[in-house]
Amino acid sequence: MSQMLSPDMTIAAEATAKAKIEVKNLNFYYGQSKALKDITLSLPERSVTAFIGPSGCGKSTLLRVFNRIYELYPKQTAEGQVLLDGQNVLDRSQDLNLLRTKIGMVFQKPTPFPMSIYENIAFGVRLYEKLSKSEMDGRVEQALKRAALWNEVKDKLNASGLSLSGGQQQRLCIARTVAVKPEVILLDEPASALDPLSTAKIEELIDELQADYTIVIVTHNMQQAARVSKQTAFMYLGELVEFDRTEKIFTSPREKRTQDYITGRFG
Amino acid sequence: MSTATSLHQSRKRKNAVMMTLCVTAAGIGLAWLALILGALVYKGGAGLSFDVFTQMTPPPGDAGGLLNAIYGSVVMTVIAVIVGTPIGVLAGTYMAEYGRFSKLTTVVRFINDILLSAPSIIIGLFVYELMVRPMGHFSAIAGAVALAILVIPVVVRTTEDMLNLVPNALREAGTAIGAPRWVVIKSVAYRAALSGIVTGILLSIARISGETAPLLFTALNNQFWSSNLNAPMASLPVTIFQFALSPYEEWQQLAWTGALIITLTVLALSIVARSLTGRREDK
Repeated sequence: MSQMLSPDMTIAAEATAKAKIEVKNLNFYYGQSKALKDITLSLPERSVTAFIGPSGCGKSTLLRVFNRIYELYPKQTAEGQVLLDGQNVLDRSQDLNLLRTKIGMVFQKPTPFPMSIYENIAFGVRLYEKLSKSEMDGRVEQALKRAALWNEVKDKLNASGLSLSGGQQQRLCIARTVAVKPEVILLDEPASALDPLSTAKIEELIDELQADYTIVIVTHNMQQAARVSKQTAFMYLGELVEFDRTEKIFTSPREKRTQDYITGRFG
Repeated sequence: MSTATSLHQSRKRKNAVMMTLCVTAAGIGLAWLALILGALVYKGGAGLSFDVFTQMTPPPGDAGGLLNAIYGSVVMTVIAVIVGTPIGVLAGTYMAEYGRFSKLTTVVRFINDILLSAPSIIIGLFVYELMVRPMGHFSAIAGAVALAILVIPVVVRTTEDMLNLVPNALREAGTAIGAPRWVVIKSVAYRAALSGIVTGILLSIARISGETAPLLFTALNNQFWSSNLNAPMASLPVTIFQFALSPYEEWQQLAWTGALIITLTVLALSIVARSLTGRREDK
């Protein structure tokens, strides 16, 4: 099904910008069970793409293939191609740590490191760059400003990252990701553990970040997908059912399954 | 109506009986502890003086202190911790981080659990065969090795448990930012588990500081001051063992005092360990 639709979908997406990530015939397995079935889609540069679908449809799995974080666990395998600027990141020769500096990721639950706010951000930067104290200060400030957190924490940079509220912690995680200057940011249900106000802040932030970054967001919340994304991919049972411009998906989807899901008939 | 009331009454009676039994059992458990502590403070406290910490163990019938025994205990404990802790922490790290899904981890965990509950006298005999016999004499270093073997399983266990408590999300976050595995372990996982790991080390010190059996076969004892690691060395537990069984009143008094010193040290370590874990839970 997805195969049949892909030419059209690609055109729709590529009309706006050049492709940053191209997924070609991707299959994914948890041990023997197949979690992604022949996924092909291409994500345009500097824009927000949302993955939606019911639980267990494979949207998070797909996201976790992009930075190969799934390799932390045994018996998870991917086959096919994921091209980042034309380079297959699934290649065995791909340096994983380098890949992950190019493709940052923010998780569902805020995960500040057990260190100060300042160190939370400096940690990732220090891994690949040697900066002087003042340069690092600048980078931390810039990242916190980018994540709209600077005004709230500028007087307590040495406080523990764990002392912040949930919404602040999540923005700290975004700041930390932005600080290492990635090209792509993966967001795995970044607001699902947050209250509505914090969610609104995160969404605002996503909107601003798309000027510089290619953003992929997995979300359970359809209104959120409609609000923040330019393209939306609807997945179901490991298949990519439909991928198109967001307003098209939410107003006149091609597929009945998409229609049923977005109108709340299942999922 | 009347059946309901009588049911209620009989339940209340059963509840009262059960509660009495539980409280009595808890009381009995606590009473022994209180009696032991009371006797220690009463009998040991009487002999507590400056001399205890400055004088050597005396010959029978003379006054003296426990300085050489305290020194020996501290030296052997410190060496045991220096030797045992890195091995324990690294093994625990392998099990919780690198080898989480490997067969070897299951095997090591099983063996470690056996070692954890092995009678310490067996460890003493083992080191006796391993070191004392080939060397031809008892020595402090053999005592320290025996104690180190007791430290390792405790530290392995707590390190593994504490690292397993670190949420995977945190490891994923560290990995996702581009940190190599060893950096994630060192800077993220260790930091998150630090208070727990330190608690494990403190508990292992508490455990070995009262051990007598492994030292009887290894460091033996020494009536005099000795800082030679290659010679027999005194220690508090062995001195207590020897003095408590002796017919001399001065020695018996010193045994009580030594017992009080060990108990207070272990108590202090436990309190520090408790407060460290407590702080961790507060977060």
